[in-house]
Amino acid sequence: MIIQTTAVSKKVETSAGPLTILHAITLAIKAGESVAIVGASGSGKSTLLSLLAGLDIATTGQVLIDNENLGDLDEEQRAKIRADKVGFIFQSFLLIPSLTALENVMLPAELAGRKDAEDQARELLGKVGLGERLTHYPNQLSGGEQQRVAIARAFIGQPKILFADEPTGNLDSTTGHTVEALLFEMNKAHGTTLVMVTHDSTLAQKCDRVLEMQAGELKEQSVNVA
Amino acid sequence: MWHKISWRLLQHELRRGELTIMAAAIALSVCAVLSLSLFSERLQAGLLERSAEFLAADRVLRSRDEVNTEWLQQASDEGLRWARRTSFNSMAFAANDMALVDIKAVSSEYPLRGQLEVGNQAFAEGAPTDELPQSGEAWVASQLFQRLELALGDTLEIGNSEFTVTQVLTHEPDSGLNVFTDSPNVLIGYDDLAATGLIQPGSRVNYHYLFAGDNADIERFESWLLPQLDDVTQRWQGITDGDTPLASSLQRAEQFMLLASLLGVVLAATAVAVAAQRYCQRNYDAVAIMKTLGGSRGLISRIFTLHLLLLTFFSIALGTLLGYLLQAGVIYFVAAYLEQSLPSAGSGPYFLAIGTGLLCALMFSLYPLLRLIKVPPLRVLQRDLAQSSLRAWLQWLIGGGTIYVLMVVYSSSWLLSAALFAGGSMAVLVLLGISRLFIRASRTAGMQAGSSWRLAMAGMQRRAKQNSVQMISFATALMLFLLVLALRNELLADWQNQLPDDAPNYFVVNVADDQVAELNAMFEREQISATDLYPIVPGRLMAINDELVRDAVSKEERDASEFREGFGRELQLTWRADLPPNNDLTAGDWFSEEETGSVSVESQVADRLNLVVGDELRFSVGGDEFTVPVSSIREVDWNTMQPNFYMIFDPATLQTSSATYIASFYLAPERSDELYELFRNFPQVSLIDVDTIIGQLREVIEQVSLAITFVLVLVVLAGALVLVAQVQATLEEREKELVILRTLGAPGKLLSRAVTYEFVILGALAGLIAAVAMELSVFLLQTQVFAMQPSIHWRFWILGPVLGATIVALLGKAVCARLLAQNAAGLIRRLS
Repeated sequence: MIIQTTAVSKKVETSAGPLTILHAITLAIKAGESVAIVGASGSGKSTLLSLLAGLDIATTGQVLIDNENLGDLDEEQRAKIRADKVGFIFQSFLLIPSLTALENVMLPAELAGRKDAEDQARELLGKVGLGERLTHYPNQLSGGEQQRVAIARAFIGQPKILFADEPTGNLDSTTGHTVEALLFEMNKAHGTTLVMVTHDSTLAQKCDRVLEMQAGELKEQSVNVA
Repeated sequence: MWHKISWRLLQHELRRGELTIMAAAIALSVCAVLSLSLFSERLQAGLLERSAEFLAADRVLRSRDEVNTEWLQQASDEGLRWARRTSFNSMAFAANDMALVDIKAVSSEYPLRGQLEVGNQAFAEGAPTDELPQSGEAWVASQLFQRLELALGDTLEIGNSEFTVTQVLTHEPDSGLNVFTDSPNVLIGYDDLAATGLIQPGSRVNYHYLFAGDNADIERFESWLLPQLDDVTQRWQGITDGDTPLASSLQRAEQFMLLASLLGVVLAATAVAVAAQRYCQRNYDAVAIMKTLGGSRGLISRIFTLHLLLLTFFSIALGTLLGYLLQAGVIYFVAAYLEQSLPSAGSGPYFLAIGTGLLCALMFSLYPLLRLIKVPPLRVLQRDLAQSSLRAWLQWLIGGGTIYVLMVVYSSSWLLSAALFAGGSMAVLVLLGISRLFIRASRTAGMQAGSSWRLAMAGMQRRAKQNSVQMISFATALMLFLLVLALRNELLADWQNQLPDDAPNYFVVNVADDQVAELNAMFEREQISATDLYPIVPGRLMAINDELVRDAVSKEERDASEFREGFGRELQLTWRADLPPNNDLTAGDWFSEEETGSVSVESQVADRLNLVVGDELRFSVGGDEFTVPVSSIREVDWNTMQPNFYMIFDPATLQTSSATYIASFYLAPERSDELYELFRNFPQVSLIDVDTIIGQLREVIEQVSLAITFVLVLVVLAGALVLVAQVQATLEEREKELVILRTLGAPGKLLSRAVTYEFVILGALAGLIAAVAMELSVFLLQTQVFAMQPSIHWRFWILGPVLGATIVALLGKAVCARLLAQNAAGLIRRLS
């Protein structure tokens, strides 16, 4: 199992008193598997994603990535895990506006101190069809193009797991489909585990497994037979 | 690797204009400090150099006896130049007449500052010379030519020696304004002095020692010498501490420049603080992304610290270059105008400017940077997450501390800085309260107004916290601007008043009692505007409340026991029925017709001698002693070119026929040829030409006015930058709002108007607050710092809000213009 959780819950303090966002979630994801997390707004999908990715820590319970318990690690050590094993794609792309497409893609490799960052980035941008737009800034690219840059950025660290938060949520349906196709294609080629939060049931159906969240609880796990 | 990321970010962001405000704020603070301090240092040096000419030296030691030659040796050892000037009164004999003259014997180094001017015709223009009288020669003032009917080449007998008159002495740099030296000057070489045999034990001789050199050398010598001086017989004088007419103007100018540049720096620092805050906020996402992508906190700290350092160095370099060029440009134009080259400045201003830039940039960025580095990676999913555990008081502490340190560095006075700082902080707190109140009130008012107004008010209300901070910045910037403007006008007007175009340029002294009427008639006939003729009787102050004063007793007695502080020299006394112009009573009453037998004392003398109304003063006049009470204390404006007196008696007490009279009058320069003819019937009166002194004074005032205008321009620039930085800081927020309103179908005109109105209201309120705060500050400064009459500036109460509304609305609209021009789709794309 590449990701494993045991009775994970998340509580936050609000002005109206403590609020439990996640209730004792237990799940396991195999290496190479693609999993969609679906559910209504406020059901706790994104919170679950942030815990699985180590962006936040659980109030109780355990989250294991590649057999390392995130609860035992500090912020710096979790950053190291993300650098080594995790890639991200976000609904709002989250490219750094003052860096070019090429530099945005290079960034994770550079942060990890890799020397071949630029070559790798060029190659990946070529693969996502942006080989001609290396020196463009994010605001000079369309939404679909920005998301393709984000996909290239996600794969440069050769991650074991890719987390995607509504990756097509900001795109029109045609562009969305193109990006989806690219995402699955890259995922397959790199043998990455994909964990995706989405509203889109068609997109969810393309994953190996769908987890449905309801009011902070994991309701149902369905397996898609391709 | 990480330094590459920093460098790349900097390059792109600079090119894309994202760092413009931050860079401009730092560059401006460096540029302002550098140009200002270079300019003022050079101007100050120029002024002092020019003013030193009033003394013919940088410092003068006046003594009643010859001083220890060791002192002069010490001056040479310290690298100072020095000269002797020995003066005394004596009779001079020409072919068939004689007159009392003031002999000045000067050593070959004289004058150390300024130049002598000589001519070959009495009362005509002279020309500067570097020569001095040769042995056996005497240079003689115009008056003596008139009195003894001399011609060049005639022989003048002084003591045992004979001198040939070779030049008309038209100007001595150190002739000063002491109009009571009514005997004309005769200048001879110091080496000729002994042969005259006039200096005997007991002769009344003034020994003056002139010193000049580098400031540091002078100060070292000064601190060595001062403890050794006898405070009764010896006096040490510099240009700013004497009773020269320049001293107070110079001191005020210096204080003003200090204050204005301090305010300018505080403004620039505010701009840096606002820009730094925004700089960091803009990078929250970048930090969150980098952290999500696995960047460690250490790595990210290094990236952004280096980024900030690079930005700081770039901006400082830019500011230094601009500052130097600006100053050089100003000096270039000013120099042509001043007909005088200004001495160059040292490295001090560069250190000061670069230090200020570093301090501002780093200290004001510290808190935002700490927050930036603490941004959690979770922000990538929860966009409003920027919270960190850092307390806001830390920011106030760092910011306040930095401003205080800057103030201390600038004023070199922690006390003055503490006072200003405490006052400023109080003002900010009060302003914060008032602006909140205003904003709340305007919301209520806006509910009844049209939709643009309602939108504007709602916008103000929604950003109440940001807006009240913004309003303080606007108000502070406007206030400082108004303050500098008002003070500049006040100072200039004050100086101009002292020296109107027809300020008296001649003094006439030594007028006999029986000539007063005739002279007044002449003035009237010739349409010459003159002051009243004031009688003069020499006298001494002997005792205060029956306690003898120090200078009334011999040196031995003085040393032996305690005596009350005395005047130190003979006084010129006068009498008068009514209060002279430019004199103001500060205590007591002016003489009434029934009451007689009292004296009115000048306020500085009263302070020095500890006198109050009712004290009994004993005077000795012409051998008679009498005691009178002090009936009033007067403040005298010493900068006016009119006869001024320390002691004025009522006419009944002092009136005597042995007095001589003095007056000053204005004669247009083109009429100066008439002088000889006008005064032919008054052969024994002396004329003293103060035209040159007035000219010098005017020049100094012009230089200072220029400097002040320059400071004003810099303050305006700094203020505008604060405004732009502030509006920029709220831009993203506005962007979101505009998207929503646009999407809901609000017409462009409505939005544009709403934005304008919001800025108009903000600016007008800030302007009003600024005018009130300015009025208070001006009052405090005028009464406490500049010793001026306080005044109310009504037009600033209108100017403040109008100026505020206009400037803030224009700048705000300009900054938001790009946003307003976008359509909804464009706006949404910018946000995503």
